[in-house]
Amino acid sequence: MSHLFEHYGANGKGYSQPEPIMSTDNLQIPPSLIRKNLPKWPRISEPEMVRHYTWLSNRNFGIDTGFYPLGSCTMKHNPRVNEVIAQLPGIADLHPLQPDHQIQGTLAIFHEMQEMLGICAGMDAVTLQPVAGAQGEFTAMRCIQEYFRGRGELQRTKVIVPDSAHGTNPASASMAGFEIIEIPSGEDGRIDLDALRAVVGDDTAAMMITNPSTLGVFEPEIAEAADIVHAAGGQMYYDGANFNAILGRTSPGIMGFDAVHYNLHKTFSQPHGGGGPGSGPIGVKSHLAEFLPGPIVKRRPILAGDRLTAVNQEWWYHWQDPENSIGKVQQWHGNSGAVIRSWAFYRRYGKDLKTMSEHAVLNANYLRHKIFQEAEAKGVRHLFCDGAPADVVKHEFTLSLAPMKEEMGIGAMDIAKGLLDKGYMAPTVYFPLIVPECMMIEPTETESKETLDEFAIKFVEVLQEDPEVLHQAPMTTKVRRVDEVYAARNLILSYPFDE
Amino acid sequence: MRSSSIAFATKPTFMLGQRCECDGGKHMVDQLPNLGREKEMLEAMGMSSMDDLFADIPETVRLKGELPLRGPQSEEEIIADARRILGANVALGDRVNFLGAGLNRNYVPASVFQLIGRGEFLTSYTPYQPEVSQGMLQAMWEFQTLISELVGLEVSNLSVYDGSTAAAEAITCAIRLHNRKATQKDTIYLSELLPPSRVSVIHNYTQGGGVLIKTLRHNSDGTLNLESLSEAAGSCGIYVEQPNPLGVLDGGLTRVKEIIGENTAFIVGVAPVSLGLLEAPGNYGADIVVGEGQALGSPITYGGPLYGIFACTKAYLRQMPGRIVGRSIDVDGKEAFCLTLSTREQHIRRHRATSNICTNETLIALMGAMHMSLLGPEGLAKLAGRNMAACQLAKNKLSEIPTIALPHSMNSHYNEFVVELPGAASDCIAYLDTQGLIGGYDLSNWYAQRRNWLLVSFNDQTKAAEIELLAAHLAVWSVSVTKGVSA
Repeated sequence: MSHLFEHYGANGKGYSQPEPIMSTDNLQIPPSLIRKNLPKWPRISEPEMVRHYTWLSNRNFGIDTGFYPLGSCTMKHNPRVNEVIAQLPGIADLHPLQPDHQIQGTLAIFHEMQEMLGICAGMDAVTLQPVAGAQGEFTAMRCIQEYFRGRGELQRTKVIVPDSAHGTNPASASMAGFEIIEIPSGEDGRIDLDALRAVVGDDTAAMMITNPSTLGVFEPEIAEAADIVHAAGGQMYYDGANFNAILGRTSPGIMGFDAVHYNLHKTFSQPHGGGGPGSGPIGVKSHLAEFLPGPIVKRRPILAGDRLTAVNQEWWYHWQDPENSIGKVQQWHGNSGAVIRSWAFYRRYGKDLKTMSEHAVLNANYLRHKIFQEAEAKGVRHLFCDGAPADVVKHEFTLSLAPMKEEMGIGAMDIAKGLLDKGYMAPTVYFPLIVPECMMIEPTETESKETLDEFAIKFVEVLQEDPEVLHQAPMTTKVRRVDEVYAARNLILSYPFDE
Repeated sequence: MRSSSIAFATKPTFMLGQRCECDGGKHMVDQLPNLGREKEMLEAMGMSSMDDLFADIPETVRLKGELPLRGPQSEEEIIADARRILGANVALGDRVNFLGAGLNRNYVPASVFQLIGRGEFLTSYTPYQPEVSQGMLQAMWEFQTLISELVGLEVSNLSVYDGSTAAAEAITCAIRLHNRKATQKDTIYLSELLPPSRVSVIHNYTQGGGVLIKTLRHNSDGTLNLESLSEAAGSCGIYVEQPNPLGVLDGGLTRVKEIIGENTAFIVGVAPVSLGLLEAPGNYGADIVVGEGQALGSPITYGGPLYGIFACTKAYLRQMPGRIVGRSIDVDGKEAFCLTLSTREQHIRRHRATSNICTNETLIALMGAMHMSLLGPEGLAKLAGRNMAACQLAKNKLSEIPTIALPHSMNSHYNEFVVELPGAASDCIAYLDTQGLIGGYDLSNWYAQRRNWLLVSFNDQTKAAEIELLAAHLAVWSVSVTKGVSA
C-alpha cells in the first residue's frame, strides 16, 4: 500500500499506551465541546508504519544520497555526532521557562555561540532567537526600524535591495513595514554605485545585500557602497546566506555592515530536514544592540552561592533583556536544538573555520574550471556562458544556458532534469533572476575532488544529450516530470477519502 | 601556498606531550575530503596559493591573521564536552515536574526518532525537484491531511515555525482577506489572557502593516466575555485559545462565529492532542486553526525546534502563509506530488509575499505525522484522556487543601490550571525547588497583579504519586506562609 490512509488493519494503536491515572468516565467536558467524530487517521501498526516511512525515504534525495550542488543552499555534510548531542536530555528534555540555575549548561553554550558568531562576522552583539534566515532578516529590519524611531528619524521608510537579491530580502523588509527600492545591477552583475547614489537620501533606512552576491562573485566596491549608504544616514544589512564563502577571510563588520543574519542551517551544518528547521541568529554593531529581541545570554564572574549548579568555576550565565528590545520573534529562545548542533559543528573547526571557507571556495572554483575544461574538450563550450564574468568565484557560481536555449531549445530546467537521471540533485535554476536560463552551482567544502571531476564529466554529457531525450528527462526517477499546472488547477491538498 | 595545511603529508612529527600531528592537528580532516590536496587542485586551475582564490577581496576589507577562536576538537572531545556541559542542566526528567505553560512533556515513540534520522529525509532540502523528492512531498501531503482531519478544516499547510508565529501569521492572513469589507479597518482582537511573549510576536509580525490590536475581556471564571466579544464584530479577526492560556475549556467558543459574523475571522489556537476528546474547532465555526504542534511528535528541546499548525477554510487558501503540497500526475499519468500555489511565497513573490516563511519546520512536522500515524484515531482519544485525567486528578487533590484556592475550578481544564496561593508564587516555586520539584509557572510574569497565581501543568507523563507529592508540599508551604502572615 502506497498511501498512509489505506491502512486500517491495526486496532488503532501503533504503540501501546499506559492506562490513564484515573477513570476518564467523568471528565466534565462542556457538552458543546465533546467531539462527535474522531479524525480519519490511519490505523497502522508499528511495523507497517516503519515500512511506510522507509518506503517514502527511499523516494527522497538527500546529501547522504548523492552530490547536492544546490546553489545558495550550502548543502554540506551534516556530521552525525551533532544529532546525538541534540538528543541528550540536557537539551531535548529542557523547558524554556526553567530558571537560570537549572540551565547553566545550555546558557554556557548559547554564550559561546553568541561570542563566536560575533567574532566571525565582526559584530558586537548577537541574538540566537530567530528561527530561520528570513526571520533573521525580518528581526534585523525591526531593530533598524526601532533605532530610527528612537532617533526621531521617522521619515526613513525605504529599503534598497539589488535586483539580484534573495527574494526573502524584500519580503522581510516589506513585512516590517518598509517600502522597497530595487536597484539594477551593473552589466557585470555587480552592484552599480551610480544607481545606488541615485536612490539614497534622507528617506533611506537601509540597504540589504549579500556578498559574495547571488552570482557567487565578490562585490569589490562593497566598502564604497557602505560609505554611500552611511553618508545618507542609512544602515547596511548583510544577508548571511553566502557567509560560507568568506569566513575568516573577510567579515561583514570589516566591510562596513551594521547588521547581519547567519544561516546556521547553511554555514554551520544544521541539517535542512527537507525544508527546516533552520536557525537564523542575527549580529549587530553596538548601536543596534539595545533593540535586539530578548533575552540575550550574559555572564558575570561566579559568586560563592552559585557553585552548586554552575557549569564551570569561572562564570555564572543568565538571561537578560536588551534595554529597548523589540520583544520576541519566537515565543521562546529560538531553535535551540539547531544552535546546539551548530555549536558541535563549530567545536570541530574552531579557528580553522577559515579552512572550511577556503575549501568551499576551492571546490567551487575547481568545479567551475573542470566544467569549462571538459566542455572545451568535448566541443560544447559554446552552449553556455558565465552568469557573471569573474577570474575567481567564491563558494558558488552561475552559468547561463541561454546560448543552448537559443540554439537547441534546451533550457536550464531541461539540464537540471537531465542531471537527475545521472544520479545528482539538480543545481538551483532560474535564480538569480538577472541571469537568463540561470543555473547556480554550489558544491560546498565536503565534496571530494573525485566527486567534482565526475560531476563535470556528467554535466557535459548532459549538454551533449539528444534534445528529445532531455525534453523527456528524467526517465529513471521514481516519478517523471510532474505536472505543476495540474496540481495548481485541481488543488488536491489532502487525501480524498471518498475517491 | 599556505603550507600549513599540507605540511603534514611529508613531515609528520610525534613528540611526547604534544598533540599528535599525524592529521596536521586539524580534526576536521574527517570532514574535508580535499584537505592536503589543495596544491593539486590549485595547480589544475593554474593557481599557486589559496590566497589566489581570494584575490578579488580588496586589501582594505581583508581579515589578517587567525580568528580569535579556540582550537578544533575531535568528535570524541566534542561529545565529552557536550555531555559534561549539558549534564550541568536539570532535565525535566530528572525532577518531578509541573511546568507547562503551553509546552508539555510528552512521550515520543522510539520509531519516530529512528525514522527521522534517515539521511534521505534529514539531509534533503525543500523539495523543489519533485521527481527526486516524492518521499518528503507525500509525507507532507499526508501531514496536511492528518491536520485537516484533526482540526476540521479543509486546508492545512506543511507547518510554520511554532504556535506563536502561527497565530501571528493567521492574523495577517485575516487582515489581508477581510480588511476591504471590515468596518473596523486594520483591527484585530486578542484574548487578554495571552502570554506577553505571544502577544509580542504578534505585535512584531503585524506592526509593519499598521495593525491595531485590541483585547477581548474574560470573565472571572476564565471564560470569554461574550459581551466584550460583540465589540469585535466588523473587525478583521479575533484570536482566542482552546484550552485558554490558563487551561480552561470554554464551551462559549462554540457561539463565537454567530456573534462576530461572516466577515470577521474566527481564529482558534489549540492544544492538538486535546482534539482527541474536544470538538474540532472547524466544526464550531473556526475559520483558521493554529497551534503549537509539539505535543504530537516533538520533544520540548528548550522551546525549539517546534512546529506551528496552520489550517484554514478554502476562503483563506490564497492568503495562507507557508508551503503547501498538492497531488498531481507525472507525464505518464502516474500519481505524483509537488509544491503548489508557490506564487504566494517570497522566493517568487518577493515584497508582495504572503508570509515570512522560507525555511520552515518540515522535519519536525514529519515527526508529528509519524506520531499521529502511530496513534490512530482511538490512540489520540486515549492520549487526550490520559492528559485530561491527570489534570482532573490533580484538581481533585489540590482542591482538598484548605489554604489554597483554584479560582477557575467551576470549569473543566486541559493540561493546566491556576492555583491561588496564600503567598507569592515565586516563593512557592523556590521552596518546591529545594524539595526537588519543578513546581510550575509564576503567573506574575504574565499578569503583574497576580503575584499569588501559580500555573501547574499535568500531562500524559504525570504519575498519581507525583500529584500526591505536589499536594503534600503545597499544603506544607501554604500552611507555613499562612501562619507566618497571621503571626
